Amino acid sequence: MPKLIKNGEIIENQYHWLQEAEQEVTATSIVAAQKWLTEKDTMTGIAGIWLEAGDGVEFLEGVDLTQFDVIGVHFPAFTDGRGFSYARLLRERLNYQGEIRALGNFIPDQLGYLLRVGFNSFQFNESVDLEKALLLHKSFSIAYQGDVSEPRPLFLRR
Amino acid sequence: MYQYDAIDQQLVEERVAQFRDQTRRYLNKELSDQEFLPLRLQNGLYVQRYAPMLRIAIPYGMLSSAQLRKLADISCRYDRSYGHFSTRQNLQLNWPKIEDVPDILAELAQVQMHAVQTSGNCIRNTTTDQYAGVISDEIVDPRPYCELIRQWSTFHPEFAFLPRKFKIAVNATESADRAATQVHDIGLHIKKNDAGEIGFKVIVGGGLGRTPMVGVTISEFIPRMDLLTYLDAIIRVYNQQGRRDNKYKARIKILVKALGIEEFRNRVEAEWQHLRGKESTVPMSEFERLQSFFSEPNYNALENNPASLTSKLADSAGFARWFERNTFEHKKAGYRIVTLTLKKAGQAPGDATAEQMHKAADLADRFSFGELRVSHEQNLVLADVRQDQLVELWDAAKEAGFATPTLGLLTDMICCPGGDFCALANAKSIPIAAQIQETFNDLDYLYDLGNIDLNISGCMNACGHHHVGNIGILGVDKKGEEFYQISIGGASGHDASIGKILGPSFAQEEISSVIQKLMNVYVENRYEDERFIDTYRRVGITPFKEAAYAKAN
Repeated sequence: MPKLIKNGEIIENQYHWLQEAEQEVTATSIVAAQKWLTEKDTMTGIAGIWLEAGDGVEFLEGVDLTQFDVIGVHFPAFTDGRGFSYARLLRERLNYQGEIRALGNFIPDQLGYLLRVGFNSFQFNESVDLEKALLLHKSFSIAYQGDVSEPRPLFLRR
Repeated sequence: MYQYDAIDQQLVEERVAQFRDQTRRYLNKELSDQEFLPLRLQNGLYVQRYAPMLRIAIPYGMLSSAQLRKLADISCRYDRSYGHFSTRQNLQLNWPKIEDVPDILAELAQVQMHAVQTSGNCIRNTTTDQYAGVISDEIVDPRPYCELIRQWSTFHPEFAFLPRKFKIAVNATESADRAATQVHDIGLHIKKNDAGEIGFKVIVGGGLGRTPMVGVTISEFIPRMDLLTYLDAIIRVYNQQGRRDNKYKARIKILVKALGIEEFRNRVEAEWQHLRGKESTVPMSEFERLQSFFSEPNYNALENNPASLTSKLADSAGFARWFERNTFEHKKAGYRIVTLTLKKAGQAPGDATAEQMHKAADLADRFSFGELRVSHEQNLVLADVRQDQLVELWDAAKEAGFATPTLGLLTDMICCPGGDFCALANAKSIPIAAQIQETFNDLDYLYDLGNIDLNISGCMNACGHHHVGNIGILGVDKKGEEFYQISIGGASGHDASIGKILGPSFAQEEISSVIQKLMNVYVENRYEDERFIDTYRRVGITPFKEAAYAKAN
């Protein structure tokens, strides 16, 4: 199984990201949110769901998110920044405490921003050298704005 | 002006280190062209027709003399000893080497400068009135608010990969809009409400490019403490819902237009209800901290119209002309705002040589408390000049090529670098500017024509703001040849409007004669002091069109 970066460490990936609708759903599956939405009454015991760019997070309002160990956010291209808002809304609006995993075509140089908006795990494309990616974890030691880990902007701490 | 503390300094230095590493990995082929592209763009680095172009941020146009000297010095050591001031108050270097850019950024950091987010699909340099803080009818000085926005937008973690670029401009006076705020993604107009509280009228969805639009008001008054949460709400809606399938339909204006302002406003309000009053609400202490950097310099108690000024005005028509056109009323008695024009014939509009930059820095030290501003019209401004030193300054400015007394006139053109430099351009724009400067070189005639904005862009991306020029010239490609489309009736102030295209495009050599015909129609039709734009609005496009396309007999 490919490795991933989670909470600042390279670890074995214990979940399966189901990209195709017909793949078999198991207890370790991360299922497309739209699929889960239509089949949720019969689908139990999955690891979590993943959001496609364009899904938004509004449909998760009122859903008990504690049933998911992980919520994935897919980046169709690393320049598609919708996922940055999704992660932040999952944390700040929907108060989701579990793992938020970046999936797809994001790149190591985005790690700093991804961490700040609430992602804590990163399933990189296979071509990425995770040891090198880890070095980019923290390019900046301080930030002007508030974010998920420190909601107070710098002007409240200056 | 704003001074970095240890934290601001640390941030720009960490940015330099980050970009140095990214550049190293790119040159080692660890980062692909595609991956490096947005990373370099967010540090102002384009790859252009002949060489890379580096766009250096001049936040809201404020420059110290030391910073300008550093820019001059950088242009000599890493480029071809000149720079180009852009309409968004930035400085562009046209010939740096990619491998030198980290060193250039490190040098900039030494003088509290950077190239952060001067390009790319992120929040760009915030711009404002080049006369901020020194005019009498200003509601309040906009610069502390610009700095607030600068810090909020710098490395904003959520908004670094927006559908498209995002530009914010701030205006603080009812009498003029010198920052073209209504053709920005967000235009902010500082207001005071009936209770005397400061806030912002918020205009959204303006922009130029392929689909030019004047922005619409989304809120009449957002209290200043709520500014950042409101901006977050707007951009969060845009980041999620703006189109990403077509880069020409990706600006916020397209979303606002598609939804209609009512629906867009509802979505922003709904988002804002979650953010309003939360941590990003700006406390009074932060406004006070930021305002403290923009306190007045040590003005002397002086009288208006000292004898040395009035006698020179009477004696020298040249000086009187320069005074009338290139200087502006100051809020303090005995002072004047002076524009050092970068529109000398034979020099591309907005270009300054390293030598000129040094001279401008010297003039700032001698005459204006060591500070300058860059204007949207691509000129430099000395904001605090004693009236009894204007003659001395005029002499020095003439010598340096800064005193072309045409501010606001036909030849004070806005012009993009065009096909001489830019990889996007369809046509050259600098030779058009040169042709117009050569043709319209009679100052008496130019003065008689009065205020006319003439803007030139080399392509649809509209960096030269042709849509909002009273006369706009757009370079187009016609079967591999460079042609120029002319529009009239655009304006970028409080009366912002998009110009109308006159008709079929013209060959390069025809441009001046067409402009001449347009001027003839204006002169024949105008009422006494009527400006070109007002005559156009009164008589409409038809007489101009007829004159431009009339067959010679």
